[in-house]
Amino acid sequence: MSVAPVEVSQPQVATDRPWVTIVWNDPVNLMTYVTFVFQDYFGYDRAKSELLMLDVHHKGRAVVSAGSREEMERDVSAMHGYGLWATMQKDDQ
Amino acid sequence: MFKRSRSGHVYLKLDDVECGLLEQLLGQIIELIEVPDVPASTDPLARLVGLEGPTDISEDPALARLFPDGYTDDAEAASDFRRFTEPDLRTKKLMCARISQATLDDWTGRRDLSDDQARSWLLALNDLRLTLGARIGLGDDSDDDIDFDDPAYHLYDWLTYQQGTLIEALAP
Repeated sequence: MSVAPVEVSQPQVATDRPWVTIVWNDPVNLMTYVTFVFQDYFGYDRAKSELLMLDVHHKGRAVVSAGSREEMERDVSAMHGYGLWATMQKDDQ
Repeated sequence: MFKRSRSGHVYLKLDDVECGLLEQLLGQIIELIEVPDVPASTDPLARLVGLEGPTDISEDPALARLFPDGYTDDAEAASDFRRFTEPDLRTKKLMCARISQATLDDWTGRRDLSDDQARSWLLALNDLRLTLGARIGLGDDSDDDIDFDDPAYHLYDWLTYQQGTLIEALAP
């Protein structure tokens, strides 16, 4: 009897890996508006929303949410609805 | 400008020239968003299930900014995402512009806004600024090219002021 080779569960790791929504800096959206959107859509408090907004502003981008691919597609689409420049990707960090 | 009254609702105050300007700008963005400039998917299955959205980003910088890609590292996922989400996004943006425009009907200088109307104005003003910003070349990484005497720039600046007053009025 031979022992079946242990399957390396790489594909599963890949699908389980959470996805993230990234908001990118742009020269049009006002800092106060971006803060408003984070509070309004994600329900983050003002302090957290301002920190995220400053991250976007100074670092050029910030991860604003994480979750399943479907959840992130919803968030990215919502950000586009507000006019923020957002994309999603697998969380590699 | 937008303000919050003592009783707690948001109102909009404009002179006739300002009102005419906003009416005209909203009309233009409605026209811009209404007609998709990129052909819808021709995949028969996609049409069958009602996913007839476009799959490619617009070559018009303003439309590309209003409807950006959802993925930067996966072209196929980006085009699927667009097909799924862009029609709905267009509908929502159109609705905001139309609701805002309707509040300017029979203008008498000042109008009280419902929460929905104020919200529509917030998003519509942002879409107008994104559109104008793309037209005058903001975000090209070459801000040196911006002509600050361009009437479009003054318009952009004025819209920024208007949106700023609305954000302040809505601030929780």
